[in-house]
Amino acid sequence: MRSANPRHFLLVGLLVVVFTLVIQWILDKSLPLPALQASAQAGAIDNLIGQHIWLIAAAGALVLVVMVYAMIAFRVRKGEEDLEGDYFHGHAGLEITWTVIPLIVVTVFGVIGTQVLTDITAEQPDELTVEVVGLQWSWRFAYPELGDFQTTQMVVPVNRPLRLSMYAEDVLHSFWVVEWRVKQDLVPGIETEMRVTPTQTGEFQLRCAELCGLRHAYMLADVLVVEQAEFDAWIAEQLE
Amino acid sequence: MLMQLGLTRGLIYQAAGTLLGMALTMLWRLLAGMDLWDRETVFVVGFLVGGFAFMWGVGAIDDWIDWCRGKATPLHHGPPKDKPAWTRYFSTDYNHKVIGIQYSITSLLMLLIGGSFALIFRAELAQADLQFLGMGMYNKLIGLHGWAVIAAILLGVGGMGNYLVPLMIGAEDMAFPRLNAFAFWINVPGAVMLLASVFLGGFDAGWTAYPPLSTSGAVGFQLLFLAIYFIGLSSILGSINILVTVFTMRPPGMDLFRIPIFCWAMIATSLIQLTATQAIGTAFLMGLSERMLGMGFFDPEGGGNPILFQHIFWFYSHPAVYVFVLPGLGIISELLPVFSRKPLFGYKWIALSSLAIALVGFLVWGHHMFTSGYSSYLRIPFMISTLLVAVPTGVKFFSWVATMWGGRLRFPTPMLFTLGAISVFLLGGLTGPILATVASDLYLHDTYFVVGHFHATLFGGFVFPFFAAIYFWFPKITGRMYNEALGKLHFYIMTPAFWLMSIGQMTVGTMGMRRRIVDYDPLLGGGLVEARHLETTIAAFLIGISILIMIYNLVVSAEIGVRAPSNPWRSRSPEFQIPSPIPEHSYAAPLRVVGEPYDYGLEESYVTMDESDAAEHHT
Repeated sequence: MRSANPRHFLLVGLLVVVFTLVIQWILDKSLPLPALQASAQAGAIDNLIGQHIWLIAAAGALVLVVMVYAMIAFRVRKGEEDLEGDYFHGHAGLEITWTVIPLIVVTVFGVIGTQVLTDITAEQPDELTVEVVGLQWSWRFAYPELGDFQTTQMVVPVNRPLRLSMYAEDVLHSFWVVEWRVKQDLVPGIETEMRVTPTQTGEFQLRCAELCGLRHAYMLADVLVVEQAEFDAWIAEQLE
Repeated sequence: MLMQLGLTRGLIYQAAGTLLGMALTMLWRLLAGMDLWDRETVFVVGFLVGGFAFMWGVGAIDDWIDWCRGKATPLHHGPPKDKPAWTRYFSTDYNHKVIGIQYSITSLLMLLIGGSFALIFRAELAQADLQFLGMGMYNKLIGLHGWAVIAAILLGVGGMGNYLVPLMIGAEDMAFPRLNAFAFWINVPGAVMLLASVFLGGFDAGWTAYPPLSTSGAVGFQLLFLAIYFIGLSSILGSINILVTVFTMRPPGMDLFRIPIFCWAMIATSLIQLTATQAIGTAFLMGLSERMLGMGFFDPEGGGNPILFQHIFWFYSHPAVYVFVLPGLGIISELLPVFSRKPLFGYKWIALSSLAIALVGFLVWGHHMFTSGYSSYLRIPFMISTLLVAVPTGVKFFSWVATMWGGRLRFPTPMLFTLGAISVFLLGGLTGPILATVASDLYLHDTYFVVGHFHATLFGGFVFPFFAAIYFWFPKITGRMYNEALGKLHFYIMTPAFWLMSIGQMTVGTMGMRRRIVDYDPLLGGGLVEARHLETTIAAFLIGISILIMIYNLVVSAEIGVRAPSNPWRSRSPEFQIPSPIPEHSYAAPLRVVGEPYDYGLEESYVTMDESDAAEHHT
């Protein structure tokens, strides 16, 4: 049978390897993550996304190469119009193989994913609690451990684990600083929590990531990550 | 003439019924000593009455009313006796082929409407900053685009199921023809309410309509809730019909593993529709009564919880995705053997993988809610269950390419769309696990990456296969061939354009652009975000143009196309063994199944039609 010719399988195997690399390269270029990894969580998440891109490339290459190869190698040729294809119905061994291997792969990715999630959400010693309130269409911040005041700008010290304790006053909102990667919804009536450790000083933008009405696109706030000394001075200033 | 059409009567009845319902509500309020005007109750009751008035006007309940009066109503099959034949497509008709066409045409119409909404805001998004679309209108259009297209997809699923399932199993009609007509027509008042909502403030919370935004917004939300109630009723009634038809009306010899594979897809789809649609009905009914009656389901001030809505909503809306794609995947499995001239590889595995997807699909709804604030320990089980969906889906992909392997492939338009469907659904499927994994989803959730992912899933799982099916069965429906050159032109514009659009959406997503925003930061992605958006917008318009080419092709070919032979694709399926166009009663003689459905390469046929059984059949 034409379909059992070992030449086909050899060529397809080779092409799958080549196209895994090609697709990985294309995806790497067309799915650019923000260059700045400004939190302790960002690196782990970017690595995980990178591993998934390899999975997409390998599985994508496998199906696409076999499909396109079949389209070329097994196209109907002149004079063959009345002939049918090779006659076979299936193969239990193959079906079991491509059920079991994906099962193992997704289990491995499930375990990796669980590990990363556990790492990036783990409680840290010496956390600074920042209270975040979302309302149409602005943000408020408070530092309950440091004093009784509220700001419209988020200022936090670099390399200090943060515990954000959040709620919404009206409708759903979502806390997202792109360079920090992680996001968490704010819900009216419920306190939600997110852990993040900023690792880069600088000025960032907090954007609302859950549709919250008319001016949702513009529900922004400045986030300033500063050295500890600068942060202490800022707190002192707020307390005056 | 116009008044002889059920559709016209229905729409007039709906308008009159809505006004009457509103007037009665106001009268009742007046008598009860309340304020005359309360937009919630007046509009809700009005539109509810209007919706049922439509069903009365269109004639979908005439026979049932007669039964209540003790009158017998013989099932009339065939064109109306006193009116032109084409009028049956605009009136209540009980022939499943007519109903299938009604579903499909309405689906295409809603697809055009929903797609046009998308083109409006794609034009806005071509550049950063605000152009011509206001913030409020943008927020309304995104939700309207979503629901109009979901309605289109459900109608398309109904169209394929109703037209094909009875033909494929050799049944003369569906099990419950009157229920079938009712299930189609109830979509129309639903669609009218959905589109009318934009004139009553619209619903500006996206298609997901999360409270508290939806429970505090304009009265347009109530129209959405009612519209989905009507459209959802169609899903439930339609799925009962499909299930009973497949399970009880098969010919001798057709055991369950010998039915055409599309019927398996419809079994899995119908099981989901029959059991999950109630959840979105519940979510929206709770939203409706929270607004109208002040019940505190979701509002924390009334003792409610906004996250509750999300659970109930996604308990339907995730399985619903499999309702959208499983029939399309069935079409892929159906068409590949015909154009590969080879048996379908692993029939039982493909059939059972549909059931597996349907089953696992019920256990994954929480992956839409990783950032919602529900108990954090729930995130791991939902991640694992979602990743498991990849296994039965993988079985389908591998079985498809194995079906092609060793065949003698030919590439007319339906085959091109089938292959396009596989490639696009592959893109949608493979971008799933990265979103199912909690940690990467914490970044990608609510970004444009998600938008790219589900558009690829739905185009690959529904739009491409639906178009493949339209081209494939067009000769059986009209008795004429479509124009092959135009069909290919459609494919070669739409497929690259779709890839460009979908990858473009994913690109701006990883760059960090949120979904559902009218304006974006042009500095994202190192300043490249705007260029990607412009490409995506151009691609979206190209898709729109290519679909118009298809509509032109279909309309013109139905009039002047080359006469189609009975079996232009040399298919083994029963519906290709009878004349084109298919006669009113489909099969002149009862079917008997004597072989396998996809044994291309063997001489023996799948079915025989024994004329000697015919006499017995017609008594």
